[in-house]
Amino acid sequence: MGERARQALPSVLSVLLSLVVCWLLIALTRDADGFTTATAAYLQMLWGGIGDWPTFLGGSPVAVLTRPIGEAAMKAALLTLTGLSVAVAFKVGLFNIGAQGQMLLGALAAAVVGSHVELPALLHIPAALLGAALAGAAWAGIAAALRLYRGVHEVISTIMLNWVALRLVDNWLVVGPLRGVAQAGASITGTAEIHASAALPRLLGDVSRLNLGFPLAMLAAVAVWLWLERTRTGFETRAVGLGDEAARAAGIPVARRAGLAMALAGALAGSAGAVLVLGTEGRYPGTLGAPYGFDGIAISLIGNNHPLGVALAALFFGAIRAGGTRMQLLDVHKSFPELIQGLALLFVAGRLIWLSVLRRRRAPAPVLSAPTAPTPEAPHA
Amino acid sequence: MMLRLQVLALTALLCACSKKQEETPTQGSQAPSTAQQPAKKAVPVGLVIDVGGRGDHSFNDAALRGLELWAAGKRYEGGKYVDAAPDEVRKSLPAHLTTLATSLQALPVQPVVLQSKAQEDYIPNLQLLVDRGAQLTIGNGYMLANAVRTAAQENPQSRFLLIDSQVLDAQGKALKLPNVRTVLFKEHEGSFLVGALAGLVTKTGKVGFVGGIEVPLIQRFEVGYRAGVKTTKPEAAQTLMSVYTGSFNDMAAGKQVAQDLIAKGADVIFHAAGADGIGVIQAVKEARAAGKSVYAIGVDSDQSHVAPDAILTSMLKHSDLAVYQAARDLVDGKFAAEDQLLGLKEHGVGMAEVRVDFPGKAEALQKVEALRQRVVAGEIKVPSVPADLASFQAPAP
Repeated sequence: MGERARQALPSVLSVLLSLVVCWLLIALTRDADGFTTATAAYLQMLWGGIGDWPTFLGGSPVAVLTRPIGEAAMKAALLTLTGLSVAVAFKVGLFNIGAQGQMLLGALAAAVVGSHVELPALLHIPAALLGAALAGAAWAGIAAALRLYRGVHEVISTIMLNWVALRLVDNWLVVGPLRGVAQAGASITGTAEIHASAALPRLLGDVSRLNLGFPLAMLAAVAVWLWLERTRTGFETRAVGLGDEAARAAGIPVARRAGLAMALAGALAGSAGAVLVLGTEGRYPGTLGAPYGFDGIAISLIGNNHPLGVALAALFFGAIRAGGTRMQLLDVHKSFPELIQGLALLFVAGRLIWLSVLRRRRAPAPVLSAPTAPTPEAPHA
Repeated sequence: MMLRLQVLALTALLCACSKKQEETPTQGSQAPSTAQQPAKKAVPVGLVIDVGGRGDHSFNDAALRGLELWAAGKRYEGGKYVDAAPDEVRKSLPAHLTTLATSLQALPVQPVVLQSKAQEDYIPNLQLLVDRGAQLTIGNGYMLANAVRTAAQENPQSRFLLIDSQVLDAQGKALKLPNVRTVLFKEHEGSFLVGALAGLVTKTGKVGFVGGIEVPLIQRFEVGYRAGVKTTKPEAAQTLMSVYTGSFNDMAAGKQVAQDLIAKGADVIFHAAGADGIGVIQAVKEARAAGKSVYAIGVDSDQSHVAPDAILTSMLKHSDLAVYQAARDLVDGKFAAEDQLLGLKEHGVGMAEVRVDFPGKAEALQKVEALRQRVVAGEIKVPSVPADLASFQAPAP
């Protein structure tokens, strides 16, 4: 337990530090009342993330609680899935920067299955989710195959495949062959609307957009964690990530583990697209600009590449980002939540760099007094 | 191994981040102060603008002008509202609207503006404005059509204005809601005028068009523009080059496309591409600095101030007027749910003042004005869909 806490601590501290820095940034860029404004803005963000409790206690209907919570949960679900996608690839030693492209493909597949196939709800939702997962997995599979058979570095291929996906889906399929039909003259963007049977059910009815996607995402986090920690294939996957030569020597099918992990990563990112389309949008929108796939990288790193850490980080940043919109009421720019997330990531990175510097300095030194703990106040130049 | 991967991840991510910042330039950074409460009781009017954001010098800024400057008499400056100077409203009016100057009185409304980060923010943003007590909530842009439908159905007691689209049901059929007013514009008519001017101005005989996302709405700009060019310079209509960038918020894409068109010899480029169009204007500006005689035609708002030498004119789309009228009707208690369609005749679209000089300017402007009057009189029917373009006969002078 102590070990686990120590692992989580840098992330928690980084997030807190970034919150403080951003608070100061708001406060110091105001002419007057900076600190009051910054605090008010943070409170707005909080109420936008966990529900507007003061208004509720003041007698407003329960919707002022459920709506913000629903928004936060929706964003958290998306961030969890893309974060898991990146984390799973990390575990096998690959860097999946292509979650965005996989998500686009997944979203498109979900939209197509949702609108072009007619099934009862009990089958339709799983079919659409499965379609999205397969599409995402296939897209990631391209990068995996290039890596395994041609030695193309997955960072390069996944970045490039992101753009291919964007142009393919946003600039061709969605405005071309798969475009929804409207009356002449009406501008409709995106694909046809999905059938009601494919929409993820709303868990709280009309008063919130909270839908089945959220529990599914949380379930996915737990499942990935169990798989990595408690199964043989999961163990082998981690072994490949820690050192593929050693894994190969131990008789682990390295290529298969890497390929499967990458496919799983793609499937997770694809499901994020499905949750977006089936949960709230109801169609593949004209452009799916939101970079949840890229955010997944940050979420994964802040969550220490641990499935449950990813879920926690996603919950936190889901709430922050859902609430961040409200900061605009106090004239704080709409992208502040991203700033908080970016700074948190930077501070997490600072820890990594710091550790690596320490390790390198210690490495050449001969073993003097075997395993003494490193002095906390390590000398810096 | 892990560590190296993570450092790699970070570098890649930093690159991605820095790119993102480039893409959103002119946002007024979050500077001072909380929103000011006007002394008398003002009606809150909400406005949700699409992902193009504030400061696009175009579509979103037009709606913002209608609400903030015209309706509320305020200017958004450095993150807060200040009272606008008395003549500022009049200055913001193009020549063909100056007659309206006296009727544009500041109304007791208080603007509440929310920008959207992504498609899925539209509904929560509209809902938040309703929850904050907005009497009228404006969805600016066809991308908000679905969101306005949902929000209007969930809040039947609240009123909405939807710009640029009708309310569509799941099958894409127009739907009437008792609490939504929609406004559509005849963009083709305004584009027809700037197209006619482009045909008169071009020296290379090649003109270009840059569109954002290829939807019927943006096609109306292109079709009207083509018809205009065909009227004044038929051979240029044959070679007219048209490109769609596929976005409204990617300046780099607009710039790239425009550079391409200029390299192929286009010397007048009309854009209907939101923030991508700012990139188009930049490309034209740079080409002019390099000694080429090239013009850009702006869209939605008068974009002359973006690059005074490079902007020939702008095709104006008066969503500012539509927003103002809706706010006025709200204050007067006359707000009715209806579908409006505004063309040249209704001052819904128009051509901005031509501020650059070129040989034969007076004559060219006369010709365009003559065309305008004939469109208003109904003598010329400007096509609005690509299919009608082939059968469009250029009117005899």
